[in-house]
Amino acid sequence: MIPYLVYFVQFHEDFRLPELEALSKLENVKIKFNREDYSNDLWTTGNNYPEVYKNLKNFDPEKYKPYETSTFKFMVETYNGTRTMKEQVDIINTFSFLPFKGSIDLKKPDNTFMVLEKYPSPTEQPCKIYMGKLVGVGNRQLVATYDLKKRKYLGTTSMDAELSLIMSNMALVHQNSLVLDPFVGTGSFLITCSHYGAFTLGSDIDGRQIRGKGKTSIKTNVEQYNMKKRVLGTIVSDMAHHPWRNNGELFDAIVTDPPYGVRAGAKKIGLNTDKYDAPPPTKRSVMNPRYPLTVPYEMEQVLMDLIEFASKYLVIGGRLVYWLPTNSEEYNINDIPQHPSLKLIANSEQSFGKWSRRLITMEKIKKYEDIRLTGEGNTGHYQFRQFYFYGKVY
Amino acid sequence: MRLITHNMLQCHVKGCNKDNFPLKLEEIEIEELEAEFNADFIKSMLNRLDWKALAQTTFSLGIAQLPEEMPEELNDEMLQQLHHILLEVDITSGRMVCQGCNHVYPIRDGIPNMLLTESEV
Repeated sequence: MIPYLVYFVQFHEDFRLPELEALSKLENVKIKFNREDYSNDLWTTGNNYPEVYKNLKNFDPEKYKPYETSTFKFMVETYNGTRTMKEQVDIINTFSFLPFKGSIDLKKPDNTFMVLEKYPSPTEQPCKIYMGKLVGVGNRQLVATYDLKKRKYLGTTSMDAELSLIMSNMALVHQNSLVLDPFVGTGSFLITCSHYGAFTLGSDIDGRQIRGKGKTSIKTNVEQYNMKKRVLGTIVSDMAHHPWRNNGELFDAIVTDPPYGVRAGAKKIGLNTDKYDAPPPTKRSVMNPRYPLTVPYEMEQVLMDLIEFASKYLVIGGRLVYWLPTNSEEYNINDIPQHPSLKLIANSEQSFGKWSRRLITMEKIKKYEDIRLTGEGNTGHYQFRQFYFYGKVY
Repeated sequence: MRLITHNMLQCHVKGCNKDNFPLKLEEIEIEELEAEFNADFIKSMLNRLDWKALAQTTFSLGIAQLPEEMPEELNDEMLQQLHHILLEVDITSGRMVCQGCNHVYPIRDGIPNMLLTESEV
């Protein structure tokens, strides 16, 4: 195996390795990695520069042959420390012994060589030096492309672009996947999943969110990003009583941010019999019937319905990717709902101090079985809403 | 709502489990969309479609006359036709009626409203 060095952006760190694993599965590239030393074609490492120079000088001259006459660029990157421009140039100059005779081209070099310094703390000297050839850079610019600040139609629950893109990768979304977001809101995931080539469908109990206000709606976003060919559409439906045909596995992925009842109060259709007498049954024979009565949709129930739905409607190998809010103090791994048809693939935390939300990735490994969900206690997200607003569970 | 979506929706009124699929389209307005032909996507959808329902719906709308059973081999022409049926026929308004319980699901702005009333769940 050829060693490569992957240098991640230092943000949402808990999501990077699971995403790398998902990408390797998606692209069918076998990888093994060492968590200690976290994309470079890695030539050598050393604890200090003399070691690195020595290793490079000991290479078989054949190694340098392909690069001798090509144009090149040399870069210095630092982790947990900084270097001034002058220091960077000085470091680069110490590598002048390398037999590169091509001219330097900072804009469009044939090859880019890189040194990465790792610092134990910003005030100390680097403890590890990595040197290699740059083979690729991530698609960071996509985060700007789908930046919420530029999006025309937004709601309180719109998911930021970077996390939406990560979710799409976790779900192994690829060309021609069929993806559903059953709590579609303003349609963030339709856009990012369709960016990666998926055909997407969304549903939400709140038709007003889908249709939007005034001139903007999910449709506006779809048009803004020119996704009309890939976003198949949206339906108004209730996850607790959904209308999807129940004789087949329909979706390659389900990517969603279920309502926690915090920013968007979760509702399902039902009658609160404590408050009202049952009204006479109404048949929907007119085009604009009254809005049905709703009751609160407890998060526990939302999750059970979602897991049950995924285990039934995903194709084998299909993935469910969703957010789960947890109370940091009481969280334990048993809080993650389980189902015999679904295998837990990843669980990445975005911490907000006293509470977190976790991106849960599950893969359907076998045909649906109708059983009660397991998952003991559910303490970490039990009555999450109360905890969020009042700081304690009553 | 495109016909691929219609092919995946059934009536879900509590206790309605006979003739609850496909939902009958009535008084509809259709807008033709243009979508890029993508044979791989259509092929990957074949085993997820309910063919009989698709044949019945396209026939009743006068859009196409599909064979009653899904042909074992689909030639390019057939895939093109399916592509048109599934992705390029957009129902912008009208209603879907359950043939079992007569429940009506309205379609407005291309968005079907699949909500039940609280007495039907």
